[in-house]
Amino acid sequence: MSELLIECRDVSCGYDDTPVLEHVDLQVARGEILAILGPSGCGKSTLLRMLIGLLPPLAGDVQLFDRPLYAIDADERRELLHRAGVAFQQDALFESITLEDNVALPLRELARLREPVVREMVRMRLGLVGLAGLQQRLPNELSGGQRKRAALARASIMDPELIACDEPTAGLDPVVAAGIDELLLRFRDLLGMTLVVVSHELTSIRAIATRALMLANGGVHAAGTVDELAASRDPTVYEFFHARPAREARSA
Amino acid sequence: MVEPAASIERTGRTAVVHLRGDVVVGTASALDAVLRELRERDTLDEIRLDFTNVDRVDSAAVAVIEVARRGGGARIALERLDARQRALFDVLAPAERAPRGDAERIGMLEQIGGHIFAAGRSLRELGSLVVECVRVTARVIVRRARLPAGSVGTQVVQMGSNAVGIVSLLSFLLGMSFAFQGAVQLRHYGAGPFVADLVALGMVREFAPFVAAIIVAGRTGAAIAAELGTMRVDAELDAMNAMGISPVRYLVVPRLLALSITGPILTLMAMFVGIGGGMVVALMVLRMSPQAFWVRAADQLDLGDFAKGLAKSLAFAWIIGLAGAHLGLRARRGASGVGAAATRAVVAAVFGIICFDAAFEAALTLARQSR
Repeated sequence: MSELLIECRDVSCGYDDTPVLEHVDLQVARGEILAILGPSGCGKSTLLRMLIGLLPPLAGDVQLFDRPLYAIDADERRELLHRAGVAFQQDALFESITLEDNVALPLRELARLREPVVREMVRMRLGLVGLAGLQQRLPNELSGGQRKRAALARASIMDPELIACDEPTAGLDPVVAAGIDELLLRFRDLLGMTLVVVSHELTSIRAIATRALMLANGGVHAAGTVDELAASRDPTVYEFFHARPAREARSA
Repeated sequence: MVEPAASIERTGRTAVVHLRGDVVVGTASALDAVLRELRERDTLDEIRLDFTNVDRVDSAAVAVIEVARRGGGARIALERLDARQRALFDVLAPAERAPRGDAERIGMLEQIGGHIFAAGRSLRELGSLVVECVRVTARVIVRRARLPAGSVGTQVVQMGSNAVGIVSLLSFLLGMSFAFQGAVQLRHYGAGPFVADLVALGMVREFAPFVAAIIVAGRTGAAIAAELGTMRVDAELDAMNAMGISPVRYLVVPRLLALSITGPILTLMAMFVGIGGGMVVALMVLRMSPQAFWVRAADQLDLGDFAKGLAKSLAFAWIIGLAGAHLGLRARRGASGVGAAATRAVVAAVFGIICFDAAFEAALTLARQSR
C-alpha cells in the first residue's frame, strides 16, 4: 500500500464517554477516495469529526500524516491540520462576508502571499468549481448547489493533501450532485488530493469512491471496493445497497 | 515541503529561471519575489521559467505566474512542465478567462448613486411600514382586526418594568445636574428660588420625554431590531408571510402599541423624579424647603406643559418602534446583519427623536408668534 495519510488503530469515538463507534481500524492511502457510508445515525459524521481533529477519540490512536493527531500539542496539531481541508455538511460559510472573502480566508490567515496572488487564486478556484464571476456575492445569494461548491472551494483553496467532505451531495438534484462528484474527482486527478467522503448517496459513492467503509452497529461493518460491497450478501450491506430487505437477496 | 530555489541565467534580454523544489502555497511567495524583481528591472523581453527540477506545483504557483503575466512587461514562458503540471496550468487557465471579480467593482460615482437609491428605497419602505402600522392600528381600534392575545400586555411588561429603575435614576441625576447648573448662576442675581421654575419647566417640557426616549431607544429599539432581524435571518418572517399572516400586524403593531403605553408612563415618572432631583439640590445648595420648591414648581406648570411633554413622548415612542421594526425587517441575513440592524436602529431612533424635537419646538414657537 502506498503512503498512508490517515491511520486509526482500534479507535473508539463518541460523545460524553458514550461511544458511537468502537474498535475502528481505518487506513487512507495517498491518492485514494475513501467513502464512509452507512445508514443515518451510524456515526459517519462522528468518525469524520475525529479524523479532522474536532473530536478526540475515547480510546485508540489516530495518526494523521504519520503524526499522532491527539497526542501532539495544540500548535503542532494546527500545523498538521493546515495540510487538510474540510467541507462541512452545512457548508459553514460565513454569511456576513462575500464569497471571495470566504474562500480567501485560509490563504489570508495561513499563507504568506500577496493580496493580488490571493485574489487570483480565489478567482481560479471559483472558476474551477463553476462559480466564476460570483466573487462579490454573499453566501445567502447562492443556491444550495453553489453553496456546496463554495464550501469545496474554501476547503481546497490551500491545495491540501487531504480533503474531508461531509455529505457533499446531500439534498442536491442529480445533475448538480453529478457536478460535485466530477469536481471531487478533479481535485484528486488534477491537484493530487486524497479524499475522505462521508455519504449515503449511492450514486455518488459509485461514481467517485475507490474504496468504501461501511459503518453499522457501532463499528466498521464492512470494507472493500464499492463493487465488492455492492455484491455482498451480508444482510446489512445488502439492505443498504439495494434498499430492500436481505431476504430478497437469499431468494434471488 | 521543499523550499524552492531558483538560479537565474541571463542572455541578452531574456532571463531563464531554473526553479527547484516545491512551488506550492507555502513557498510560492519566493517565486513571486523573483518574478517581481526581474520585471521591475524592465530590461527584459522574456522570462522563461524552467520547471525541470520542480517537484510539486499547486494553484499558488499558477496564480503567482498569472498575476505576473497580467502585470504586463516581459513575456513569461513556461518550460519543461511534466504532464500533471501542464494539466494544472491548462485547467486553471480557462478559469482565467472567466469574468473577473474586479469587473463587478464599481466606481465612486456609481457607489454614491447606489447609496442614494438605497436610501430612497429605504425611505419608501419606511413610508409603507408607517402607513401599514397606522392602518392596522386603526382597524384594531375599531375592532376590525385583532392582535395576538396578550401580545401588547406582554410587551408592556417587558419594555416597561425593566426600564423603570434606569429611567428613574437617570432622570433624578439629570434633575440634580440641571438644578446645580441653574442654582449656581441664579444665586448670583438673588434669584435662587427660580431654580424650581427652571427644573420643573425643563423636565416636563423637554428633558423627561428626552431622557426616557433615549433609554427606551437604547433598550427597546435595539431589542425590536434584533428580534425581528433574527426572525428574518431564520426565515420566520418568510414563513409567516407564506402562511398569510402579516408580520406587521402580528409583530410590529403590538410593539408599537406597547411603546405607546410605556413611553408616556416612563416619561410621566421621569418628570416627577427629575423635579425631585432638582428639589434635593435646592434643599442642599439654596436651603429651599421642599414645600416651597413644589409650590413654585406647581405654579409654573399647567396641564398644557404635561400634555406637550406626553405628546412628545408618544411621538418618540413611535419613532423608536418604527426605526427598530423597519431596520429589523430589512436586516441583512447573517449574524452581523442582526447586530448592524440593532445598532442602526438606535442611531436612527436618536436621530429621529432629535429631529422631531427640534421641528416640534420650532412649529410651536411659530404658531405662538403668529397668534
